[in-house]
Amino acid sequence: MNDRVYKHWLLAFFLCGFCLASYIAASGQAAPAATTPVPVRRAATSTDPGEKVFEANCARCHIPPMTLNPRITGTIVMHMRVRARLSRKDQKLLLQYLAP
Amino acid sequence: MVKWMKNTLVSWRKSKRKLHRDGRVLLSGIIGSLVLLLCVLLGSAAGNAQDDASPQSSAGYVPVISGGFAYIQNSSGGVQTLEPQIIPVLLVPMGHSVLLESRVEFTGFFQREVSPSGSLLGPYAGKVYKTVDYAQLEWLADSHAMFTAGRFILPFGLYSERLTAIWGRNLQDLPLTYTIGTRPYGAADGLMVRGVAASLPSANIQYSAFVSTHSLIEQLQAVRAAGADTSIFLPSKRVEVGLSYERTLEGYQVNSEAAYLSWQPERASTDLKAEYDRTHFGHGYWIEAAHSPQQFPIAPDFFRHVQLVGRMEQFFIRNGGGNGFSQVNEQRPEVGLNYQIRDDWRLESNYGRLFSKNGNENVWNFGFTYRFIWPLWSGRKS
Repeated sequence: MNDRVYKHWLLAFFLCGFCLASYIAASGQAAPAATTPVPVRRAATSTDPGEKVFEANCARCHIPPMTLNPRITGTIVMHMRVRARLSRKDQKLLLQYLAP
Repeated sequence: MVKWMKNTLVSWRKSKRKLHRDGRVLLSGIIGSLVLLLCVLLGSAAGNAQDDASPQSSAGYVPVISGGFAYIQNSSGGVQTLEPQIIPVLLVPMGHSVLLESRVEFTGFFQREVSPSGSLLGPYAGKVYKTVDYAQLEWLADSHAMFTAGRFILPFGLYSERLTAIWGRNLQDLPLTYTIGTRPYGAADGLMVRGVAASLPSANIQYSAFVSTHSLIEQLQAVRAAGADTSIFLPSKRVEVGLSYERTLEGYQVNSEAAYLSWQPERASTDLKAEYDRTHFGHGYWIEAAHSPQQFPIAPDFFRHVQLVGRMEQFFIRNGGGNGFSQVNEQRPEVGLNYQIRDDWRLESNYGRLFSKNGNENVWNFGFTYRFIWPLWSGRKS
């Protein structure tokens, strides 16, 4: 295949994919459902120890997700506990903060 | 002649026994895999059941498929490369204390070939590479000790474990010193213990220690090595300082060391990271700063999604360099401009210039990254 045509097709494919995925993601966020993800970032309540753990540890390496589906919160926190070397106490505080 | 026949017979018996042994090993592997799969499925079910019974949190423990997708167009010294990447991560909890996780990379490298006229404007050609980054079983036994078995990413420095995810990096190019402590495969096959050595109100002392065995299994290659990493994290200051050590225990045995710093000032929306690495063949450093203007006077809603990044890095050879490292001194200043469309979508662009005795070159990267976190199946929420 001509390289120019190939490049155009590739770009068109990724642009379409990008637009489609953005649309799906945006519509998914707008539509409330029984399993609507809960917002991870809330109004600042500096007294919440779980929020302190969240702010101090998650942002060390990446931008934390805005929302997290409650069904997977436990799994994600287990993964992050190993990766960030969190204590069991911090894990519990995070779970109570993310999925009260 | 008789002696030869005797030797042949002995060697034939040996190879027969070896074949028999190999067969048994294969059978044991298959049975082991099936048992592991059964444990995974039962563990997941048990985890869901336990989750429903948990009075403290409504958190669910459904298996997760997470990861990133990226499309990056790279130009290095005038050579154009298209790099689509899909990097899924599978997380399967077994109860609340055991987690099976794996990450696989599918990375395409499509590069312009040299045309008949000799220019670099020929057709794109390349292939997709598959790599198993890690496949590990973790037991979260205690705050002080979490055990990992299988193939895992080497806990060396800041980049290796934490910043290699395509959706998490501020700049797409890995640091010049990245291979120090992680070469040749970036991962180990063996055992690791990690956790919190001491948890105080003002500081957390964390550690990791591992041993790796030699492996030539396809996609699971590793060298015999041992190492450790420790860091002190001050939560109130959001400062982390750490040290890493690794020693390869086969071939030309060398030590690698790293010292790193990470700081996120609470009010500045800035992320500062720096690392110094040293091994037998070279040493170097990188220092990176990323800033998102949260209270820009003009169009604050737009500018708080913008991220400005700058990184300076240098690599100096020792003992002739080579062995996977550059054979000349190199330095690369790099700047980046990223835009976070949402927390999962990001547009990326960066420019750097590599200064080297082999020739200076410009490096450009443009593209986008997408992070996904999806439950593998629907689970009941308590």
